Amino acid sequence: MKNNGIIIAGAVIAIIISVLAPFLASSNPDGLDMNLINLVGGGSEEHAEEIIGERAPIEYEAPLPDYSIAGMGKLGEIGAIVGGTLLMLGISLGLGKVLGKKQGT
Amino acid sequence: MHIGDGLIPLGQTIIYWLIALVFIAKSLEWARKDLDEMKVPMLAALGAGIFAIQAMNIPIPWGTSGHMMGAALAAIILGSPFAAVLLLTLVLVVQGVVFGDGGITVMGANIVNMGVVGGFVGFYSYNALKNSIGMTGASFAAGWLSIFIASLVCAVQLYFAGTFPLMEGLLFMGLYHAVIGVVGEGLITAIALNRIMAVRPDVVSEKSVTGPGVAA
Repeated sequence: MKNNGIIIAGAVIAIIISVLAPFLASSNPDGLDMNLINLVGGGSEEHAEEIIGERAPIEYEAPLPDYSIAGMGKLGEIGAIVGGTLLMLGISLGLGKVLGKKQGT
Repeated sequence: MHIGDGLIPLGQTIIYWLIALVFIAKSLEWARKDLDEMKVPMLAALGAGIFAIQAMNIPIPWGTSGHMMGAALAAIILGSPFAAVLLLTLVLVVQGVVFGDGGITVMGANIVNMGVVGGFVGFYSYNALKNSIGMTGASFAAGWLSIFIASLVCAVQLYFAGTFPLMEGLLFMGLYHAVIGVVGEGLITAIALNRIMAVRPDVVSEKSVTGPGVAA
């Protein structure tokens, strides 16, 4: 595989961002959530969640909700995001190799 | 901009899944034809980088925040909007299934917004602008437009879903993402492309490069 340096450089930058994210990322609701609070919940996050919860066709429990590991605080958040980043690195590399153009074709 | 379960009725989510699947199939075709072994490492680096940067919410006024999508950057670097569709699909699957960020039934809608709209708007606006205002300016504009237009499409979907009123939905989704788009998408897209062009211009798709030595 040529260009292994790109994978390493990409992984290093992504892991640095992943480690910093729990400390630097804003915990304010994002643009869509803010609209849900204001336009669906009438200004109340709880009310918005209640209405949306009633309408949800399925209840799916993600293993690491909100990019955190239960009971592990900031360390869990770092672990979750770094883990997700490495998982994405592995999946895109693996799928890229499997799906990509084969040599000599 | 991750839509959660319950925001779009099940019947409508199927329509978005069907649209998404058409583009996912096309993205697999792109991979078979264009994703050579020179591009696979960049695909992996972008996959990891986009996941990480999406965890970094940047504060904006009005007590809200937002993060980069990364679709424009992926489409520009890999030279196809289908690269963005493929990468954003993978990111959204991992985010939804492992971290509960974005719903499962509505994943098709999220793929349409962030992957398809983000990737196509980013790719074609970049290409329309790169020769007149240069790669840096074009990548900034493409990043900004990609998230702004995706947020408007999201507002329209949520209007059809009966979740948002049309005008308020468009106004506030547009307003928040117009601001998020300046630093959160435009600036990061321009800086990332500029840095990659400075260090390894050979890994940027030749379709996206304006000419020898024209990095700014």
